[in-house]
Amino acid sequence: MNCAEYRELLVAYIEGLLNETEKRLVAQHLRDCAVCRAELKQISNLYSRLVSNGKKLAQTNLEDVVLERIITEQNVRLRAASKIGAGLNIRRIIMESRIMKFAAAAVIIVATVLGLHLFNPFRATVTFADVIEPILKARTVVLDFIVGSEETGPVMHDIIVGSKIRRTITISNMETIMIIDLDNAKMLTLDPSSKGAALVDIKGYLREGTRNLIEFVRNAVIRVKDRPDIPVQELGQREIDGRKVVGFLVRGHNEEVTIWADAQTAQPIRIELLLGQTLYILKNIKFDVPVDETLISMEPPAGYTLSDKQFDMSQFTEQDFITVLRLWVEHVLGGSFPQSLTVGDLMSLTPRLGEKIGQLNISDEEKTQLGMTLGRGFVFFQQMGPSGIDWHYAGSGVKLGEADKAIFWYRPKGSATYRVIYGDLSVKDVAPDDLPK
Amino acid sequence: MPETDRYYIERCLDGHPDDFRYLVRSYQAVLLAHLAGKLGNKDKAEEAAQESFVRAYFGLKSLNKPESFFCWLFGIADRVAKEHQRREQIRQQRETIRSFSEENPSPELSQDYALEAAIAGLPETYRQVILLRYYGGQSCNQIADKLDMPLGTVTKTLSRAYAMLRQSLQQHERSEVGEV
Repeated sequence: MNCAEYRELLVAYIEGLLNETEKRLVAQHLRDCAVCRAELKQISNLYSRLVSNGKKLAQTNLEDVVLERIITEQNVRLRAASKIGAGLNIRRIIMESRIMKFAAAAVIIVATVLGLHLFNPFRATVTFADVIEPILKARTVVLDFIVGSEETGPVMHDIIVGSKIRRTITISNMETIMIIDLDNAKMLTLDPSSKGAALVDIKGYLREGTRNLIEFVRNAVIRVKDRPDIPVQELGQREIDGRKVVGFLVRGHNEEVTIWADAQTAQPIRIELLLGQTLYILKNIKFDVPVDETLISMEPPAGYTLSDKQFDMSQFTEQDFITVLRLWVEHVLGGSFPQSLTVGDLMSLTPRLGEKIGQLNISDEEKTQLGMTLGRGFVFFQQMGPSGIDWHYAGSGVKLGEADKAIFWYRPKGSATYRVIYGDLSVKDVAPDDLPK
Repeated sequence: MPETDRYYIERCLDGHPDDFRYLVRSYQAVLLAHLAGKLGNKDKAEEAAQESFVRAYFGLKSLNKPESFFCWLFGIADRVAKEHQRREQIRQQRETIRSFSEENPSPELSQDYALEAAIAGLPETYRQVILLRYYGGQSCNQIADKLDMPLGTVTKTLSRAYAMLRQSLQQHERSEVGEV
């Protein structure tokens, strides 16, 4: 080796990175070469300078002051958010914590699975008309799906392949994806922001309700087919998105289905469904578009972490529903019951409920549990319409704690009496004649 | 170590802000050295480092690869430094107009401003290796791991960084002598 080559090794030499042979060679050369010795001196000077400057800076301690600033900033953000209310800021705060996010997601997840059975009436009901062909033959269907008002209701995007549905929902810019496998009563939820995934058991109502409803609608359709005295109302022609469409309206016991189909191709492009008191709108419907099968796979995509927790949505009770009411009234509405109570209201509310759960002084585990409780509470409320349960909301203007004011009543299936929930969230059984007028 | 970074980042995201402390501890000296070199003043470097950490904390959710926390943090620090420099320029312009006759107070420099400035002037890879080695207290093996390069490359990079630092320090000394 010549001097230039030895010099290349000097930094590694003082850093102790050379092997024994190299070390010996360098040491030997240094004994013989004054120029390289001078070079080594320069390098070790710089080394000491770096080490001592590094040590000095390491004495500065930013930990406490940074932590303090984070807490102050967090509080400022929370205050700003609670002033502004729903929307982006809330979302940001929810995003700060994955658990907080999950609590919100749990509520949204459940709220949106509820749309499950809505697809099926559409699939079956249209069999009465010319429009039946494309629907029954279609292997895939893509559509947008809105609960409540078209202007303000949350929009979901569905890709349906056989008994599998990929549903994307965005509420307050917070996106959640669900892949629903109706055959196996499983749902895979994906949270794109945290790359978290979870499997949820949807046995019971969420799936069975779907099947019963198909049967119910099928029976209704058969009835319509065999009995010309049950009317299918023709709504005539109009234009939707620049296409000429014809409309049909069918009224059942508890539901009202309006179908708008392309006047030329007979393909349904928009369906409005009034189930109980809730309006569902299916639009931008397209049949047999090619779908990438990985989109409906029950395996989490690459990069996602699957939660090892089990989530079960198969059971739900009145008590879950009361928990929803309590959290909503106490933490979001400042003690007054809402003016109205609809599925759309509850869905729009979910990010705020998620945020409130996040702020509660309970453990992460309890937060997640509470999120799931709220989800079940939603199921409890939402299934009333489709199940044909008679219910009534009268809470507008009532304050939490007013034990003499009934806010909600319903008659459980097969029950002679009503369950009445009062302003203090107590519940009593009441005969139909004694209900508040 | 990237694994540890990932762990603390996840803790923070799961609602344990206090664990951000460990990330501050690991990188404060590295960040200070970097910022002191850019801003030329210890107090300003500290302020900018604090701000960078706070921004990093609130931006953690957008960090896709926790293992590259270090590089990401530096990106934030660079933006903060740029904003501070811009503010400082405006301040100085105003100052100049206000106290035309007054002598400019000599800026309160960091411990070894010449060295820090020289480090700040290094190309990115060289700068990272020097900062991690002497300010982050990491061994060459750990650096190889963190920056995902072979140990031999780290050694060579370090050696070249020394050469560049010496050159830049010499220039600095010469210019100081020239000024006198």
